[in-house]
Amino acid sequence: MAKKMYSFELKSSLSELDQLCQNLETFGKKFGLSKKLIFEINLALDELFTNIISYGFKDDKEHVIKVTLTPSNNELCLCIEDDGQPFNPIDFETPDVSCSVEECKIGGLGIHIMKKLMDEVCYERCGDKNVLNLKKKIGKDES
Amino acid sequence: MEIIEEKQSGINIFRLNGRLDSNTSQGFEQKLFQAISDGSKCMVVDFKDLDYISSAGLRVILKATKAIKREDGSIMLCAMQDYVKEVFEIAGFDTFLPIVATMDDALKSF
Repeated sequence: MAKKMYSFELKSSLSELDQLCQNLETFGKKFGLSKKLIFEINLALDELFTNIISYGFKDDKEHVIKVTLTPSNNELCLCIEDDGQPFNPIDFETPDVSCSVEECKIGGLGIHIMKKLMDEVCYERCGDKNVLNLKKKIGKDES
Repeated sequence: MEIIEEKQSGINIFRLNGRLDSNTSQGFEQKLFQAISDGSKCMVVDFKDLDYISSAGLRVILKATKAIKREDGSIMLCAMQDYVKEVFEIAGFDTFLPIVATMDDALKSF
């Protein structure tokens, strides 16, 4: 698989989750990626996107969230950029998920899922932007 | 996402079709809580035609499970596709939520 880039932009509204899904399906078909892989990157990006929309912006203006996907032979690089409040998901505390229904608290669950799905998570604050680079290994049966 | 509601011998069944994410979870939450406040003690959520779930969906399931337990009722989750089940596993929810393979298994449990 040659190194190629696929990028798209989402507006700062939860209804754009459908756009995210459609873009990833198109991307998956173009590069022949498995449904499982597309499901997993959709989920990771959904959790980050939902988090940015829910907590990232303190004004009512429309913002743009940029997603860039770069597949190579054995891994997929994902980059997500936004101009919201500084937020580093790496520092985010992992919730205790090994508990009963009564005890289980929900905070941070989305970030926990995202980290579990990705092999590498790297955060940078560049000027007024959050830049998050993620890597996902592609197994032989999945490419 | 489409939610089909039906009642079979006192059991409320919710069949989900499509994607359960932060866009659609609120509508589902309303339906579940409406049934609980109407006195439902036995519920089944059928995941057979659900293609996708995010933490927003898990959150609704957890909230409803807690609420129905307080009323001495119970909720069963059935017929999940592998990818969807994996999300429950990553979150650790499979250890305390009643997930069964088929609708028959779910109905028999009450």
